[in-house]
Amino acid sequence: MIFRGGRAGGRAIPWRPSSVYRGVSGFRSPVDRLPDEALLSGLATGDPELAVVFVRRFQRRVFGVAMAVTGDEQLAEDVAQSTFERAWRHAQIYDSRRGSVTTWLTTIAHNLAVDAVRARRTEPMAPEDLDAVIGVVTETPEQWALADETAAQLRAAVARLPREQARALVMAGIYGMTAQQIADAERIPLGTAKTRIRAAMAKLRTTLASPKRGDHVR
Amino acid sequence: MSGDMNCGRLREIGAELALGVLPGRERAEAVAHLDRCANCREYVRQLTLVGDRLIGLLPEREPPPGFETRAARLPARQAPAHEAPAGAADRAFRHLRGRARRARLRLAAVATALTVAVGFAGWGIGTAVEEVLASSAPAAESELMLVGDMTSTVGGETVGEVYAHPGTPGWIFVSVGLTGPHASYTGKVTCLLEHADGRIVRVGDFTLNGGRGEWGVAAPGDLSTLSGARLTMPDGTVLATAHLQKGQVVEPEK
Ligand SMILES: [Zn+2]
Repeated sequence: MIFRGGRAGGRAIPWRPSSVYRGVSGFRSPVDRLPDEALLSGLATGDPELAVVFVRRFQRRVFGVAMAVTGDEQLAEDVAQSTFERAWRHAQIYDSRRGSVTTWLTTIAHNLAVDAVRARRTEPMAPEDLDAVIGVVTETPEQWALADETAAQLRAAVARLPREQARALVMAGIYGMTAQQIADAERIPLGTAKTRIRAAMAKLRTTLASPKRGDHVR
Repeated sequence: MSGDMNCGRLREIGAELALGVLPGRERAEAVAHLDRCANCREYVRQLTLVGDRLIGLLPEREPPPGFETRAARLPARQAPAHEAPAGAADRAFRHLRGRARRARLRLAAVATALTVAVGFAGWGIGTAVEEVLASSAPAAESELMLVGDMTSTVGGETVGEVYAHPGTPGWIFVSVGLTGPHASYTGKVTCLLEHADGRIVRVGDFTLNGGRGEWGVAAPGDLSTLSGARLTMPDGTVLATAHLQKGQVVEPEK
């Protein structure tokens, strides 16, 4: 048995509902400064003010993921809405040891988006869509590079991938396509599709694992 | 195709597993391997992180006007039918919400299965597996699951969830966050399972911390006849009960 009881209790978050942090409902209340996790655990109390702050903090991230995957504003909005609903429902059992709130939310959004697209998409991925996503994922505006070095490294690593590997990576990792679906879309053997996914992921993993930028990832 | 999954084979498919695009059967074999192989577990954990980071590279986008208000509408807690008031786009929402709810069960159940079996962190892998299930053929891949909401014996509110997965081994997962008089209870609780024929089986104890706890355990015996579950305090007080219903791991609708 691996689970232990009371995992939520392991979080040491200095937050107490309806005391210190509840500010006057002002333009920028002290609630805005709550750490993500505290905000999330506060949601379990059903406080609508916290919900607004929470949505405000994460909506661009969530909607961005939904848009990238669905390419459809209405569908993306539905997905984003569902993402927050799920967050409300699971606020109580969120476990910070399993990842940041941002990662948690984007994973939910991604997951719902892939699901939503799957339910309706009949056409294979349009090549120009794919190229656009690769472009977006690899571009490195300077301010981003400064803000998050790891992300910058990862972008660069994706940019260095052979094009066919980058395509396979995006199809699997962002659009949630199986190796078989990728093989069909690219008209390549299944084994080739699998190899491309694996090779791409191996290189990215090496990039993230090496403390300095491993320029020579095989 | 044998069911043999060794480290070499796992390394071949680990990336697909981590990205959540591995078909169900292979996934099950891979997970079984991860359960007993710490090295591969670490390997897949790292790949899962890569997958998460990749999604993190997607650009932020400003949602349409009014989204903030709509999204911040907290559900009436514990109300099972909390559908939003009617509106032009609401039918679409409702539809999606229904799907999301089923997906939620899938998500929680499958993620839990993995966490219980594999015992390592990372959101990516659990949710990733949901995608695989969503994509797999309905007949071939439907997995019987018993699910139910835990209801407080005091106030009747929903205070948690129970999932049971009959199989070899079967497993049970309980997540609880008590409200009301026991909201601050810290201590041992016992989980009892009720079978349709009236048998009651004690499956084990776990600890609540401030009324909260999550617990998963491999459970021997036939779980497919389960009808309910309950949590009791050491003095026998029943804290919460759940009716378990059969659910399949559902397909998204066309
Ligand atoms: Zn291994």
